[in-house]
Amino acid sequence: MNGVFYDRFERHAHGEGLKGHTTHYCAGCGHGLAHRYLADAIEELEIQDRTIAISPVGCSVFLYYYFDVGNSQAAHGRAPAVALGHKMANPESIVISYQGDGDLASIGLAEIMQVAQMGIPISVIFVNNAIYGMTGGQMAPTTLHGTRTTTTPDGRNQMTGEPLKMAEVIAGLDGPVYVERVALFDNKQRNRAKKAIKKGLKMQVEGRGFSFVEVLAECPTHLKMNTEEAEKWVKEKMVPVFHLGVLKDVEKEPWFESKLPSFNAEKLINSIGGLPEKASRFCDAFPSHIAADDISLKFAGAGGDGAQTAALLVTRAAINEGFDSTHIPSYGPESRGGTSYADIHIAAEEVLSPASPDPNILVAFNAPSLAKFSPLVQDGGTIIYDSSVISSVPKLKGNIKVVGVPMTLIARELGNAVVKNIVALGALQAATDILPDETFLTAIRIALHDKGDLIPLNEQAFKRGKAAAELSRD
Amino acid sequence: MGKKKERPKPILEQEYCKGCGRCVLACPKDALHISSDINPISGIFPVELDYEVCNGCGLCIAACPEPYGLRAGQLEGEFQLEDPEKLFGEKPTTAPKPVNIPDEFLDLPVAEPFVIKGTYAGAIGALLAGCRHFFGYPITPSTEGTELMAKVLPKLDGAFIQAVSEVAAVNMMYGCGGAGLPCMTFTSSPGFSLMLEGVSYMISAQVPGVFINIMRGGPGLGNIGPSQSDLKLVCRGLGHGNTHAIALAPSTPQEMLDLSMQAFQLSFKYRNPVVILGDGYLGQMTGPVKLPEKMIKPGLPEWAVYGDEQHRKNLIASIKLSEPDLEQHNVMLNEKYATIGKNEQRSASFQCDDADVLIVACNTPAQMAKGAVQGLRSRGIKAGLFRPITVWPFPIDALKSLVTKAKKIVVVEASNGQLEDEMRLALSHAGIEKLPIIESIRHFGGVLPQMNEIIEKVSAAEEVLS
Repeated sequence: MNGVFYDRFERHAHGEGLKGHTTHYCAGCGHGLAHRYLADAIEELEIQDRTIAISPVGCSVFLYYYFDVGNSQAAHGRAPAVALGHKMANPESIVISYQGDGDLASIGLAEIMQVAQMGIPISVIFVNNAIYGMTGGQMAPTTLHGTRTTTTPDGRNQMTGEPLKMAEVIAGLDGPVYVERVALFDNKQRNRAKKAIKKGLKMQVEGRGFSFVEVLAECPTHLKMNTEEAEKWVKEKMVPVFHLGVLKDVEKEPWFESKLPSFNAEKLINSIGGLPEKASRFCDAFPSHIAADDISLKFAGAGGDGAQTAALLVTRAAINEGFDSTHIPSYGPESRGGTSYADIHIAAEEVLSPASPDPNILVAFNAPSLAKFSPLVQDGGTIIYDSSVISSVPKLKGNIKVVGVPMTLIARELGNAVVKNIVALGALQAATDILPDETFLTAIRIALHDKGDLIPLNEQAFKRGKAAAELSRD
Repeated sequence: MGKKKERPKPILEQEYCKGCGRCVLACPKDALHISSDINPISGIFPVELDYEVCNGCGLCIAACPEPYGLRAGQLEGEFQLEDPEKLFGEKPTTAPKPVNIPDEFLDLPVAEPFVIKGTYAGAIGALLAGCRHFFGYPITPSTEGTELMAKVLPKLDGAFIQAVSEVAAVNMMYGCGGAGLPCMTFTSSPGFSLMLEGVSYMISAQVPGVFINIMRGGPGLGNIGPSQSDLKLVCRGLGHGNTHAIALAPSTPQEMLDLSMQAFQLSFKYRNPVVILGDGYLGQMTGPVKLPEKMIKPGLPEWAVYGDEQHRKNLIASIKLSEPDLEQHNVMLNEKYATIGKNEQRSASFQCDDADVLIVACNTPAQMAKGAVQGLRSRGIKAGLFRPITVWPFPIDALKSLVTKAKKIVVVEASNGQLEDEMRLALSHAGIEKLPIIESIRHFGGVLPQMNEIIEKVSAAEEVLS
């Protein structure tokens, strides 16, 4: 007796009576043979403790009744995905996805294709008996033309498609290293099947890659045949369609590495961009000359204007000063070319409502943005706009300060149009005194800490924007 | 020892034979035949083996589909049919009894608060909770969370897998969670719909895993604007069967991080998936986020199918073929849901003590409502905010006392009344029959109710009353 099988099949109807030592399969079913060869391979490769068998949905759903290995039972067709999850969790484990034709070749096509093409060492055993067994003899994707099933009562024909040759499909992918189709109908085929299953597992044990062994199996029950007739049927009817043999056997050196994840705190903080130093503060008090305890801003422009980046810098700058601040982007249908606006709040205590439907300050990078949002600006508010691309300002009600700064022109003069949003920040500072210069500049320097050579350009852009706004105000 | 070595002949236990006859066809010596006598135990005509003719070639063994069918054994005469201890003993496996390895809490270096968006905060919360395995499919507006995991996990020797679909992603989680490790996904409404099959399996098989669903406008493809229209799905429709999962509804980036961390703890505590529901606005919103003092190095639970000797006896499965087994399983799950309902209700109240108008809202609408409460109070309307942090279980214990004091409840949400339905259901189950007036402020086009809108609508209604 192979020690990979349980001493008693406790999970098979609680191991009562004969069920403790017999399978649930019909007499002559090919699954039992595939099970035995799999058990032999696990034993011979000495991998029982590391093995996880994924039971599919179909006749072999109860694989876990029999194998004394780690067992995981998957949803219909999803066994390769479940297998991948196990393999990623513990790369040392040997994961076997055991599937039938309905499971693998119909409902689970996407999963088997992805996992096969990934090529990660996982072993698939695909039992193809050309019929749905568990649900009672319906058409399988591998059912042969002419075969009568309960869903092809007149025999499968062209209207229900061609039998799907999975081994060929899988061998056509670059991921797998080993693909073979075997059968069980005579001593020679059984010997080959046993060897193929072992080789498939070995590819995984050695970290070489993904393997796929298709086993042509007899289903005497639904073929309505005895064992002898069923073996003959597979040999004479199935094999001409599903050719036996090795379809792929790639020489590949072991490559799969087993790494345990890191739980080093420093490494984690660094990897998520944690900043060790505390940013200096330059603000004495909340800028209540703009609003009592909650200032709302809107930055708007075309996609690519840098409105979001500038808005984020304002948020970061405010938070560095110990205020609460939020930023919400809103994009048009595309990130480039569409409209893009950002709502910002800066609050002394807590931002309660992060949207800016009626901002205190609007920064507009193009004419449509100015036209759309300028009427919403609160009485006593400020509008800053790019005067190099906006020629006329809409008429506004109430007491609103309007500051035009040629942001694009200044940025071009500086040699990089991209910094027009930083020009805008300089203008914002000059026009509103919302936060001190150094607060902005510090935020800019922190944001560029890994692109240090860009800092002088951005500092200059900020200063030019500030100067231009002061000029405009005077 | 000088004795001629004989090939061992197969052992045949006739009661385990199904009489398929594969061995009969395989035998070159014609030593096997189907018996003419029915085996009294199995009720089947088994094969019989003529040991005189058999030369021990073993081909019949390789042809027998039954694990306890024909098998190689000791020499004739020495063989005993079955060791009684094996037959009646308690150990069908030799695998050891696994032990629980608890989580470790490690100090985090002091860092400045992050200024990050909600999706990032959720991802960082997961990393701090010890999650090093991510399986997902990109979908707006949750994608940034996925992208951050793709960037960070390789640096921490973790695994990031972009699955072929959400269907595959959730099943990868089933595998990884079944192996006993914390894993997660980011998704958004249509993607979460696709994951429901797997969620049902995870719940039944008691597999932990964290889902961050950044809800967008639906049904169908809808749009990518913020929404809260998956509340019903998460509270009442987690796939087929008898399912529930804790649903957490953060309202700020800080809470995204905090609840994401807690979600993993809850998920392992109850061996059940946990869903974090954020709206698209929260996912995109940047704000200050403080890190906690500790991060977690996950242990390994005793039930894991990890793929080692220690855990070899374990099984992750959702199939319970016999009716009493399934009944018992569901009774157990129901007890778990009841425990969660009792112990895990979370909520926050803002100026509720003297509130005449009780606004009920979660996620970003709750932030909008919080602003509105202040606006309403400045207009002389005594408003308060009750914010469910768990949408399932609904925090009815905290709401109960407030409901009796308030004159009116206004449910503010970006869905067609899904939060209100949860609240009404919870009130009904709690036996609260005398309810104040319940009104609603709703949007469902991929936009959220705004602060000013709440102020105006509540004020207008109050003026009509007075």
